[in-house]
Amino acid sequence: MVFNIKSINSELILLIIMGELNVAVIIKLEPDFSEGNVSYNPDGTLNRVETKNTLGPHSAIAAHAAFYAKVMYDAKVSIGTMGPPMADLALQQAQQISDAEELHLYSDRLFAGADTLGTAEVLKTGIEKMQGKMDIVFSGHRASDGETGQTGPQTGWKLGFTFLGNVISYNVDLKTRMIRAKRLISLQGVPDVIEEVEAPLPVFISIDPTYKSSFDTVSQRLSFQKYQKEATGRAENYKEYFKVFDAQQLGVDKTLVGLPGSPTIVYKVEKVPKSTATRQAEIVDGSNHEQIKKVVARMKEALSAMVIK
Amino acid sequence: MEKYDVAIIGGGSAGLAALKQLSNLGKQAILLEAGTKIGAKNISGGILYSKKPNNGRVINVEEIYENFLNDAPFERKITKYILHSTSKDKVYSMDLTAAHDYQSNFGCTVLLNKLNSWFAKQAVESSQKLGGGIIPGVHVHSITWNEQKGTSIIQTDELEEFEVKAIIAADGVNSEVADMVGARPKFTPTQLYQGVKVIIKLPEDEINKRFGIGVDEGAAHLFAGDVTLNHIGGGFLYTNRETLSVGAVYHFDSLLSNPTEPYNLIDALLKNPMVSEFIKDQVPVKGEINKGLPQEEQLRIRFAVAKLIKNWNEIRGAYLSSSGRERLINSGKYKTVEDIQTALLSTQDQMSKTYGVTFGTDYVEMEYGAKLVPDGKRCRMKKPFFKNILFIGDAAGRGVFVGPRIEGLNVGIDDGVRAANAIARALDKDDFSEKYLGEYYSQLVEESPYTIDMKQIDKDYLKIFLDAAKDVPRDIIGSRYGPILKMMSSGTLRGIAIKFANILGYERLLPIIESEDTYVKVPMRLAERLGTSVSSSYSPSIPSIADRIAKLNYNDDHKSHIKVLNSNSEFMKEMVTLCPAKCYSEEGEKVVIQHEGCLDCGTCSQETEWRHPRGEKGIHYQYG
Repeated sequence: MVFNIKSINSELILLIIMGELNVAVIIKLEPDFSEGNVSYNPDGTLNRVETKNTLGPHSAIAAHAAFYAKVMYDAKVSIGTMGPPMADLALQQAQQISDAEELHLYSDRLFAGADTLGTAEVLKTGIEKMQGKMDIVFSGHRASDGETGQTGPQTGWKLGFTFLGNVISYNVDLKTRMIRAKRLISLQGVPDVIEEVEAPLPVFISIDPTYKSSFDTVSQRLSFQKYQKEATGRAENYKEYFKVFDAQQLGVDKTLVGLPGSPTIVYKVEKVPKSTATRQAEIVDGSNHEQIKKVVARMKEALSAMVIK
Repeated sequence: MEKYDVAIIGGGSAGLAALKQLSNLGKQAILLEAGTKIGAKNISGGILYSKKPNNGRVINVEEIYENFLNDAPFERKITKYILHSTSKDKVYSMDLTAAHDYQSNFGCTVLLNKLNSWFAKQAVESSQKLGGGIIPGVHVHSITWNEQKGTSIIQTDELEEFEVKAIIAADGVNSEVADMVGARPKFTPTQLYQGVKVIIKLPEDEINKRFGIGVDEGAAHLFAGDVTLNHIGGGFLYTNRETLSVGAVYHFDSLLSNPTEPYNLIDALLKNPMVSEFIKDQVPVKGEINKGLPQEEQLRIRFAVAKLIKNWNEIRGAYLSSSGRERLINSGKYKTVEDIQTALLSTQDQMSKTYGVTFGTDYVEMEYGAKLVPDGKRCRMKKPFFKNILFIGDAAGRGVFVGPRIEGLNVGIDDGVRAANAIARALDKDDFSEKYLGEYYSQLVEESPYTIDMKQIDKDYLKIFLDAAKDVPRDIIGSRYGPILKMMSSGTLRGIAIKFANILGYERLLPIIESEDTYVKVPMRLAERLGTSVSSSYSPSIPSIADRIAKLNYNDDHKSHIKVLNSNSEFMKEMVTLCPAKCYSEEGEKVVIQHEGCLDCGTCSQETEWRHPRGEKGIHYQYG
C-alpha cells in the first residue's frame, strides 16, 4: 500500500507505532423475558417454542464494553456465539451495539446438550479462528436462562488469558499493552468494594451487570456518534459480516464438545416450590368508584406513614 | 484542552441549519443538544414556510437541504388556508389561501421530532468529514473567555471543558446561554405567546376525505372568536399525514390579565362543533366484562380485548393510508388491498362477536405539548450577539407573527445560515471580535426581509387580508378600530388608509390590530350575524390534564430543575393557573412545585430559576 504521508493524521501514526487492538465478545441468544414476549406452559415451565428470543441482557452489556474499545482505541470487534441457526438474530443485535466487523455463529447438531465446559471449548476454538490475535475477550456476567456464570471464565481459562471478573470500567495503554480495570467485588463480607487491577494483554473480561461506558470528551462523543452510525449501517447488512461454522469447519475435538464434552451430570431436576407470600394482599376489583376510593384511602394511609418533604 | 472552531448550542431547526451551512462552507463545527436525541425537545405549531420576498433574499430550507422536497419527512404541503370566526355553534369562514401563498414557494406542515432528526442526518454527514458532528445529551452550564486569545471555554455537565473560537446560541426561547452570559434579559409576558398543542390521530384517507384534499395536499384552519375564551390569540388545526395538530396560541400578557388554564383553551377549541367534527374518528368501545366469571377469566378477556384493539388500530391505520397499504403488501404479509380489508373486517368481527366490543365516535389524542413563542415584533434582539456568541431563531427572539401570518421555523433557518456565513468569514480572517463578527452578523440579520417584516406591516399582505374580508359589514368592525381599518375595507380609500397607517407607525398600530376586538369581539359578531350553524354528532371525551401528562415521556431524576424565586409573588400565583402542565399549587400563601411533569415551556421562567442540571433530562416528545 502506498501512503501519502501528508494525509496520514497523527492518530493513525500513533496507531501504527503502537499496534491495533483486537477485541472479541461472546454472546448468547436467550428467551426474551420482557413483558408480552415470554410464554409459560401450564406447569409453570418456560414455553420455549412460543417465547421470542433476543440477545441476552448481559451479552448486550458485554457488547457495550467492546464498543468502548472501538470508540476509545479504534479496536476491531468480533463477535462469536454458539447456538441454533436463528442465533444470527443475537449476532445482529450485538453488532448494532458494538459495530463489529466479524460475526461468528458456531452451529452444529454435535454441539447440542453441551454444558458450560463443552460450550467453552467451542467458543475458545472459534475465537482462535477470528481475524487477528485477540487482546481482550468479553463475556456477560451470566445468562438469564441458566445462570451459572461459568461459560465466560472457562473460555478464558481454555484460551490461557488472564481472567478479570466483575469489571465495571477499564482503560488500555496501547503502548505498554497493559490494561487497568476496576472490579466490583465484596471483600471480607464488605459489599461493593472497588478494586483496581492492572494486567498485561491478553485478558478475558467478564463484565459486571452495572458496567456503563462513559465518554467524557468531545472527541470521544464524536467518535461514539460516528461508530454508532456505522454500526447501524453494518447491522442492516449483517449477513456481509456473518459466517457459520459447523464442527468440522471449526476443527474442534469432538470429544470435548456437545454431550461427550460435558462432564455435568444432571442428577435430578426439582421444581422450586412457590414461596408463600408473607405480605397480606387484598384484591380490590377497580370496577367502580367505591372500590377505587378504598384503594386511594389505603394509599393515603401508607403514604402518611412516610415523611415526604 | 480539546479545541474546535465553532460550537452550536441547541439542535433545533435553526441550530441544525447553521451546522449544515458551516459544513457546506467547509468549516468545522460541533453541535451540542441537551435532549437524549435530536428532536426530543422540539415542538412547533406546525408549519414550515419557504418564502420568496419581493425585496431582498431569504435562505430557504430546500436550499440548505437540497433533497428536502424529495426526501424530507415533512407532512403535507398546505393548499387551503381558512380562518373561522366562531360563536357557540355559529361559524363564519374566510378563505385566506391567498394570504398563505403570499410571497411563498410553499408552506408544509411538520412534526419536529421526525423532521429535525432528518435535518440532523443530513447535517452530520458533511460535518463529520470536517472533524465536527452532533453530540446529544450534553447540557452547557457555563461559558468563559480566554481574553488574550479571544476564545471561549465551554463547560458542560457531561464533558471535559473545551475551547472554541465562536459560538452560535440556538437554544430556543428560554435561552440559557443568553441568561448565563447576560446577553439579554428574559423575555417579558408582553413579548411572548404561549402555545399549547395536541396531536390527534386520524387515518390518512379520512383526512383527505374530511378536509377535501388530495394525497399531496393539506389544509390549515385558524379559529378566532369565542373559542379564545376572551383572550388575544386563536386556535389552529393543521393536517399532517396521519395526524392533526390542534393548538391554541395566546399573548402571554392577555393570559396573565385573564388567567385561564392553557388546557382549557385547547379544550374550548376541541369542543367547538366544527373542530369536533374535524377530529372525530371511529373508536372501539370495550364491552362490559361479566363480573360473575372467575377472576382469571376476566383478566384473560381484558388482555385479549386490549391485544385485539391494538391489532385493529394497526391494520386500520395502514389500510386507510396509501403508504401503509403499500408497506403491508411489500412486506409480503398481504397480497392485495382486499386481503388487508378482509383482515380488518375479521378482526372487527372477532372483537364485536366474541368480546362485545362496539364501535363509536370519538377522537384519539396522542400527545400534549406546550411552548413559548417569542413575538419578533416586540422582542427581537436588536444586536443579536454577545462577544463571539451569535444568537439565532427563538433564542434571538425572532419570528414573524402578524394576524394569520405565523412564521418561526423559516426565520430560524435563515438566521442560522446568516450566522454560519458570518462565522465562516471570521474563520477565514481569524478575527472573532465583536466588530468583525458580531456587527457583521447583526448587519446580515438586519438586511433579512424577515427583520423588515418584524419592524413594519407589509402593506401588500394587509391588502390580501382585507380583500378576503371585503364581504364583512363595516359596522361589525366597530369604533375602536378607528378610521384606518374602516377605510381599508373600502377599495377606493385603501391607498389613503395605508399612507395613514405608515404615519402612525407599527408601534401605535399593534395595539389596535392585536386587541380583544380583533380576536374575540369582531369574530363573534361576524359569526352571529353571518355564520352558519354547525352541529356535532357527538361530544369528544377530552382527557384530563393528569391523563395528558401521564402519557408523556420524561427522563427525570430527583433534582428539580426549577427553583421558585419568590413563592408569594402575584406572577407565581398566576402560574398555578397558567402552567400548561399544572406543576404548581398554592399552599397557604405560598406557591410550590407540586410535581415535575414539566414540559420545558418556560411559562414560569420569568420568576423562577430554570436550569437543567444535566443533559437528557426532562420532556421527550414523540411527535413535537
